[in-house]
Amino acid sequence: MSFLDQIEPLKQQALVDFNNASDLQSLDQVRVEYLGNQGKFTALLKQLGSLSKEEKPAAGKQINLAKVQMEAALAERREMLELQSALPKNPTDFTLPGRRHKLGKLHPLTQVTDDIVRCFRKLGFVVADGPEIEDDYHCFDALNTPADHPARDAQDTFHLGGSNRQLLRTHTSSVQIRVMEKQSPPIRIIVPGRVYRRDNADATHNPTFHQIEGLYVDKHVTMSDLKGTVEFVFKQLLGDEVKLRFRPHYFSYTEPSMEIDFSSPVVKKMGKDWLEIAGCGMVHPQVFKTVGYDPEVWSGWAFGFGIERIAMIRYGITDIRLFYQNDVRFLAQF
Amino acid sequence: MKVTLNWLRQYVEFPWSAEKLSDRLTMLGIEVEGMQKTGGEFEGVVVAQVLTREKHPNADKLSLCRVHDGQGERQIVCGAQNFSAGDKVPLILPGASLPPKLGETSFTIKVGKIRGVESQGMMCSPQELGLPDAVDGLLILSPDAVVGQSFAAYLGKSGSDVVYDLEITPNRPDLNSLIGIAREISALTGNPIRLPIIASLPLGNELASEVTVQVQDSELCPRYTIRLIRGVKIGASPTWLKSALEAVGLRSINNVVDITNYVLLECGQPLHAFDFNLLRDRTIVVRRAFEGEKFTTLDGQERTLTSQMLMICDAEQGVALAGVMGGRNSEINPATVDVLLESAYFKSQSIRSTSKKLDLRSDASYRFERGADIGICDWASQRAAQLMVEIAGGSIVPGLVDIQPQVSPPKTITLRFAQTNQLLGIAVPAEEQSQYLKNLGFAITTNTDSVTVTIPSYRVDLKQEVDLIEEIARLYGVDRIPSTAPMGVVGSHPFDAVYDELGAARSVLSGLGLLEAQGQTLISSKSANLVSMEVIALDNPLSSDMNVLRPSLLPGLLDALSHNSHQSLHDLRMFEVGRVFTRSADTVREERRIAIAITGHRHTATWSGDEREARVDLYDLKGMIEEFLERIGLRGYSCQRREGVSNGLFLESATIQIGKQTLGEFGQLLPALAKQYDLRDAVFLVELNLDLVLARRNPNKTFKSLPGFPSIRRDIAMIVTESTTHESVLAVVRQLNPANLDKIELFDVFRGKNVADGNKSVAYAFTYRHAEKTLTDQEVNPVHDRIVAELKQKLSASIRE
Repeated sequence: MSFLDQIEPLKQQALVDFNNASDLQSLDQVRVEYLGNQGKFTALLKQLGSLSKEEKPAAGKQINLAKVQMEAALAERREMLELQSALPKNPTDFTLPGRRHKLGKLHPLTQVTDDIVRCFRKLGFVVADGPEIEDDYHCFDALNTPADHPARDAQDTFHLGGSNRQLLRTHTSSVQIRVMEKQSPPIRIIVPGRVYRRDNADATHNPTFHQIEGLYVDKHVTMSDLKGTVEFVFKQLLGDEVKLRFRPHYFSYTEPSMEIDFSSPVVKKMGKDWLEIAGCGMVHPQVFKTVGYDPEVWSGWAFGFGIERIAMIRYGITDIRLFYQNDVRFLAQF
Repeated sequence: MKVTLNWLRQYVEFPWSAEKLSDRLTMLGIEVEGMQKTGGEFEGVVVAQVLTREKHPNADKLSLCRVHDGQGERQIVCGAQNFSAGDKVPLILPGASLPPKLGETSFTIKVGKIRGVESQGMMCSPQELGLPDAVDGLLILSPDAVVGQSFAAYLGKSGSDVVYDLEITPNRPDLNSLIGIAREISALTGNPIRLPIIASLPLGNELASEVTVQVQDSELCPRYTIRLIRGVKIGASPTWLKSALEAVGLRSINNVVDITNYVLLECGQPLHAFDFNLLRDRTIVVRRAFEGEKFTTLDGQERTLTSQMLMICDAEQGVALAGVMGGRNSEINPATVDVLLESAYFKSQSIRSTSKKLDLRSDASYRFERGADIGICDWASQRAAQLMVEIAGGSIVPGLVDIQPQVSPPKTITLRFAQTNQLLGIAVPAEEQSQYLKNLGFAITTNTDSVTVTIPSYRVDLKQEVDLIEEIARLYGVDRIPSTAPMGVVGSHPFDAVYDELGAARSVLSGLGLLEAQGQTLISSKSANLVSMEVIALDNPLSSDMNVLRPSLLPGLLDALSHNSHQSLHDLRMFEVGRVFTRSADTVREERRIAIAITGHRHTATWSGDEREARVDLYDLKGMIEEFLERIGLRGYSCQRREGVSNGLFLESATIQIGKQTLGEFGQLLPALAKQYDLRDAVFLVELNLDLVLARRNPNKTFKSLPGFPSIRRDIAMIVTESTTHESVLAVVRQLNPANLDKIELFDVFRGKNVADGNKSVAYAFTYRHAEKTLTDQEVNPVHDRIVAELKQKLSASIRE
């Protein structure tokens, strides 16, 4: 058999053997068998020198081509076998649970408060704050609720005693007075915070709970934009499908005053048409006089509502005490 | 306050169903809290009037009628022949049932087609209604029957009724009466109010010689009136009176007492009836009680009075606690013959404080303390006296004792029409505004731009212009006021930025894997004392579980851990951001804090891994604190171990200091306390003063160029005594201020093999770097060698080569 005729069959055989090698080790053996120092193909290469001057160029070209092809095939096979060997012995179970580094979560009351704040900030409100330990003046008297006023009955107050008759604020409305004492109009604030009433804890009461209060004072402030603001906020919070109902009511520090009811599929499920959700009204002229604003120049409105109540409606929570128990199975749900 | 539909209809007409009335009252500001239909015969049968009668298009014997049921028109197919247009007949509405005939089930009327024509109800014969009269055809009612009235009411039977439970706001005492509610309906409908007609009473003034009345304190008793009815016969009340009271939840007692209660409900004026013959010397004295005076009220309780309380007395002793409750010694009894009827006005504050002090509330005190109508005393007295004569017999002694030293003229308030529109954001024309006020029964004088309103004595809530604006808003309908967006003003308040900082703090903490808790502000003094003995106590706590304000967030977090532990949840990591309350000397302080509590496994439970069983330790907590403070932007703090026994909460702890200020403390909870709270694993706690953290932070960030040249690392492993702290190693290095030292990292602490007891091996990596060139060994070595030498000398460290 001539030299040239030997190249092709040897190469073909090598390619077959490469492909038959089932792992990297046997592939290496096959490589040595053909391309090692003592390899069959190496032997052929070595014969190249013994060819005649005429035969050499063509033979050289052909044998080099074969070598390149063999090396390429070898590399390809190696890559494949390397990939194979990298695979785990047993296939990975991708359905096994992952190793988690759990993030914490914010308390549902924090989340609802943040949402409410976000809605009001869209309307140019800023957040204000005030003390939780209050005095009679800021919690009641300045809000047009003197000591012998029957409206004080509704709010049973925790007292701390002391010469200045300190108490725990029963509503965030006390902050209205504190802010108006310090700032001149226009005012546009909301006040989220804890308030306290002397109610025994049950499914709907906790002696500590949260309210959010809003106050807007400027020239030409109307009841119309009170309604517009409250509607905007509740629709943002509870969804566009909620219906709101305003009806006249009484609060000593607003006149006219209204209560706000809302209706939604959730309320219907509770077997009710309307659920009371907030109180509001135009700031009483007496309150303005008390803080030194001229009620002939300034008008304003205020509203307030319970944050727990909004959270309970939003998430379908039926017992207010859950908010303060801090059961991690509860906290992890929101 | 409870009222019934039928009782209300006596005072005013209104074209509404029971539901509609409920809705209208609610939208007027009188919230209907409950509405209960009470049964009765002829449910769903009303008086209707036939408007037209025509032949049925498809049946000769039937007629097709248009009938008015009081609410609207209905089409009825009828087989009777005995009626014509204009007749009033009983009509049973769809959904209602005819009374069942003996042995049959009742038949319910539905809207249905009769010979192809719809019939919306059925006009009834007496037989169909189970009435005894036999008529061939419909029962034709008398021409003066009221269309829309329930058929039962037409028959004078106790028909179906609706009891409303109304929430009356404290500013509207006038609404604590049927007539008060009727006035509101009158204002809304424009229909006149129908007050009961009182026939004229006998003229003369014989009463003056029968009784002596002396009001000694007219400040607390601005008006006092007396009437005398002689010869009454005490007995049971007639059915109508009994059922009227019972329908609204009052117990019938006897005819005379029931009448006083009936008139109270009707017009809101509390009345009191004395047995005249039990009063000594036919005398009434209105005076303050003596301090410590004893008095037995109607309910049999002996009460001790104060000199702030007003008494009604006879010549010798108290006979009633004014405006609150009568006395045992003068009450109406079966033998009473002569009734002295009191109708007075007492100062609201006085009644309120008396009733509060004695913890004694009555229908009378409820009304007086909210403000009664000083103008109605005589009317109510006349009304009750006349009912007594009608029901209990006897006769009225001519005359009235009426002591009212100061009669104030009626109040007037001027309303500027423009002000209404400006405040409400609507445009109600002047005439319409005036009309609303007129409908409320107010006398008005209209001026060009305003109206002057004379306020009736019963409207004690109306004091200034804005109160009249509210009246207009109510009658106009607050639901009709449009919703508009407020004008663009941006508010300002210094807390607004703090709110965001608190939010950022919470978000970092939750990012650290902590769940946010919210604890009670009110906790027990026992758990508060774990942290502080200087706590702020409530004067009037509800229970010993909640009798002080929390001086720290930690007791609350421990309660939360404990609650979870009882649910078999032991891997807990929580934080709280909240206010605490501390007392120093005589001042109370509110301070914001953050607290963290962790216990249990370090990692979320998983199915493989070496560290699966690892529990959290102090350095997990410290890592959280470091990460938190770095993210908040607080630098330059240090930790100082608390020596000795700490403040009752910690086994071992350290304070975190910034300058001379203490930010807070962290450490491990005392195992004994952990056990007491049923906590299985070690618990680690921290509490920081968040106000201080926020005040001392520097949130600004500036970019530092990324390193452009490689660094050189040199490690030092050395054996030091256990008392050598990490901080002391750093301090030695810092003092040298070594050139080009980029950072020092502790990468190993080892105790055990080849390290003697009381010593530890610590290993640090020192990284040297220059910003503008690559450092050489020649540059680094001298610096590093100096560090090594210094550590050897200052810390007696032996360097492990």
